[in-house]
Amino acid sequence: MRVVNLRFVYATLIGLVLAGIVHIAAVLAIPRLSETDAVSRARTSENLDHPQPIYTVATGDDPAPPEAWLPIPDPAVAVGVCAYDLADGPMRISARTGPLSLSLAAHARRGAFYAVTDQAAVRGALDLVILTRAQYDEALADDDENDPSRDVRIVAPDNRGVVVVRVIAGLPSQRPGANAAVQAVSCTTDTAADEPAGKDLTVKPAGR
Amino acid sequence: MSLAIPGSAGRSPAAGDARPAPKPRSLGGAGRLVARAWRKSSVAGLAIYALALGGVLGLASADWATRGGYPFGGVRIGAWTAWPRAGAAQSDPYTRAVNARRGEIPLAVGEGLLLTASVDDQGQALDAACSYRIGGGTPPARAWTLTVAGRGPRDPGRPAVREGFTSTEILRSADGRFALVLAPEVQPGNWLPSPRDSGPVRLALRLYDTPAAASVGSLDRDSVPAITRLGCAS
Repeated sequence: MRVVNLRFVYATLIGLVLAGIVHIAAVLAIPRLSETDAVSRARTSENLDHPQPIYTVATGDDPAPPEAWLPIPDPAVAVGVCAYDLADGPMRISARTGPLSLSLAAHARRGAFYAVTDQAAVRGALDLVILTRAQYDEALADDDENDPSRDVRIVAPDNRGVVVVRVIAGLPSQRPGANAAVQAVSCTTDTAADEPAGKDLTVKPAGR
Repeated sequence: MSLAIPGSAGRSPAAGDARPAPKPRSLGGAGRLVARAWRKSSVAGLAIYALALGGVLGLASADWATRGGYPFGGVRIGAWTAWPRAGAAQSDPYTRAVNARRGEIPLAVGEGLLLTASVDDQGQALDAACSYRIGGGTPPARAWTLTVAGRGPRDPGRPAVREGFTSTEILRSADGRFALVLAPEVQPGNWLPSPRDSGPVRLALRLYDTPAAASVGSLDRDSVPAITRLGCAS
């Protein structure tokens, strides 16, 4: 009887140690396996040229739309997401500053790796380019020394992620404007074919 | 012997059923048969028991720890808790798991700072049936919003009067400080209606574009709004 009890205690101890290992493994695996996280949910917006609104602030009596999946959203902040996949090419996010404060944050699966507000805008424009390390080196090599690019280049830790656009509506009358400001941001994939065309455009004013 | 075996034998078939049993066992047999099998292969039985215990406890505790709010990473400032690292790339694994499960997109460090409160300055839990005065200043920020939410989904029948105030729309006194009243009944001045009739409520103060996000340790009680209980209806 005593032998069985002692074995039982050992088995329980081993079970508890196993429980600890399983606990740690499960917590580490949740972000990888989750299908409800922001990056997975936003993937449907990958082919859009504009942010997918995930929380539009209520205007008038209209409640927030059903596509809103933010768990506890700020009722005064319009939120949109642009998903990117850097395998298709670098992601370019262009925003024009307006009367409402706007912020851009780049998130990967491990968390936000870059955030900028419209106070960093140069002449009313905020251009972010998110690229991989290889694409960054390529962009640096292609840079024209006399006409340096004004893009803010950010190297992403992962190929996939989302850029989150937040616009704050300080007053209820600014809410339609905040929803529109989220939609006015453009997020496009820079393909190889686009790049020379973009360069020509930036060279032209200098030539004149 | 007869005392110890039925207790352990009662456990082992449950564990054997939950997982694919390593060896075929006739389920139709009575407890005596199981007890004999247990006595003969007690090592295998104990191994199954240990595996089942580890699996069930480990998964349940992981589920419990990543359900709801962030378990770690909060910085207490008076009644408020600041979450400076919720959206950071170096956030802890629990925070990342909570964000992934909820689909939350937390504020990044350069974007803003989230502070939450579920108790008042005396440490009593915030209740929807009570009225509170929330006033004072906020840490420096370009804009902020103060919102209230109950637990779970909102009541469908309840009209959405107001969920929060922004720094632009709140009425202030001459010195720039503000005071709002969270109460079920209509109040003069800045009135924030209770989100529901009863039950716990939570306040969220979101500071946008704030230098405080990088230096949460420098905030003290006087720099965040005070939450004072005024009275309770019931």
